[in-house]
Amino acid sequence: MDTSDTNHSKDLSDCRILIVDDDRLNIRILSGMLKAEGYQLESAASGEEALEKYPKFSPDLVLLDVMMPGINGFETCRQLNETYAADCAPIIFITAKNESDDVVEGFSAGGIDYLPKPFQPGEVVVRVRTHLKSRLLDEQQKALVEQLSKANSAKNRFLGMAAHDLRNPLAGIRGLSEFLLDKDLGELSTDQEDLVNNILTASQSMLQLVNELLDMATIESGELKIDRKDTDLIELISKSIYFAKMNADKKGTRIDFNPQTESSHMSVDPDKIKQVVDNLLSNAIKYSPPKSVVSVEFTTSECEHTISVKDQGPGIPEGERDKLFKDFGRLSVQPTGGEKSTGLGLAICRKIVEAHGATVSAQNLPDLGCEFKVTFPLQT
Amino acid sequence: MTFNGTILLVDDEAHIRKLVGLIAKQLGEPTILEAANGAEALETYERERPDLVLLDISMPVMDGLETLKRLHVLDPDANVIMLTSMANRQSVDEAVNHGALNYLRKDMPREEIREALAETLVDLIEPEE
Repeated sequence: MDTSDTNHSKDLSDCRILIVDDDRLNIRILSGMLKAEGYQLESAASGEEALEKYPKFSPDLVLLDVMMPGINGFETCRQLNETYAADCAPIIFITAKNESDDVVEGFSAGGIDYLPKPFQPGEVVVRVRTHLKSRLLDEQQKALVEQLSKANSAKNRFLGMAAHDLRNPLAGIRGLSEFLLDKDLGELSTDQEDLVNNILTASQSMLQLVNELLDMATIESGELKIDRKDTDLIELISKSIYFAKMNADKKGTRIDFNPQTESSHMSVDPDKIKQVVDNLLSNAIKYSPPKSVVSVEFTTSECEHTISVKDQGPGIPEGERDKLFKDFGRLSVQPTGGEKSTGLGLAICRKIVEAHGATVSAQNLPDLGCEFKVTFPLQT
Repeated sequence: MTFNGTILLVDDEAHIRKLVGLIAKQLGEPTILEAANGAEALETYERERPDLVLLDISMPVMDGLETLKRLHVLDPDANVIMLTSMANRQSVDEAVNHGALNYLRKDMPREEIREALAETLVDLIEPEE
């Protein structure tokens, strides 16, 4: 990436200073002091002239006399701040004497400092230099932030594109190896079946990784869109369980779900919430020992709907709870069937859930395992 | 539910046509036709008049949306289900507005693709009784 633009930063001696004073003598004195520092100088004899010269000269600093015929220094300062807002160069007032009223009004008009007359050469040079330095740092910081955020969105776009283009071939490999394992197309020898199983497992975990990277890229680029639709949450959970059963069966794990309520309709993005439930179920199966029970509950009260998934795994290790919902926040606990984990699943869940105005939480159960809960507040 | 009609699969990726074809065959004994791009799809459609078209949204040269519009010029009653690789809601919505029946995400597990396909096919078969 080309970084020459920001590295070629402006030097202090390249800075431009606009001196505004109706008294030619003052301009001459200040110019003498500042010219020695190498600054480029321009002068204006009135507020009106300053306003006119400002855009052409584009100064990095303005020295502005208060008492002038026509519009005075305070008014000039206000107009400059109003016109150029955050980009306006810092303005230092020149005050006839150290009058506190003038100083205060100058600050409230948008000035950042003042120089009392008569000028002390050492004071003028140092104050000007200090303000120019902070102005330069400010500009550099803005440029840097802009560059970083451009680089970050380029990264997200790239990640999204790469993940997206990897997804179809992986889905093809996964699906086609499943058909080979069905043996509808012919018997496989034990060795062949073992190979196809390896292909299937590898494509599954790669597809999951790619999907999660794609989700992260979408979320990070601020493109997570929640498409709300009236949804029967119990039906959604049942569907998710139906498909999770296949993996659960492989480990002899049972999934219990006996909803006790009728009213489970809510306006959510069904695809995204199903993704959350899929993820909680897959985690529960992944981290539970074989032949255990995963219990899913759906409860509803006057103010909220709650989906809860309880497993019989080792629970969340002491001190690792805050890593749980973070990006790439893998914990020290391991899947019990050699499954893979990217550490992105729960981070994505949290973002989807929060985009719905809901919350997700996790806690260890007193005896064994832990419980993940998604709570949807009911809007009134 | 069994489906024994003719399905035209349109996708520029051969492995996706293969996969979706195998999934469709789990729902009965359909005749599977394939096309690798929009132009081929229109040609095959005109000649064979399949009962259903599964149409990829993003293809080079002529994309799925354009193909969909031209299919409906050819046959206003053409049954088309879009194939998409992610919840690309904008183009899916646009396709549905242009008369697509539904969409299938081809990166979903095959069981989910099969279920979704079966759901649409049931609606397709029943009104004809």
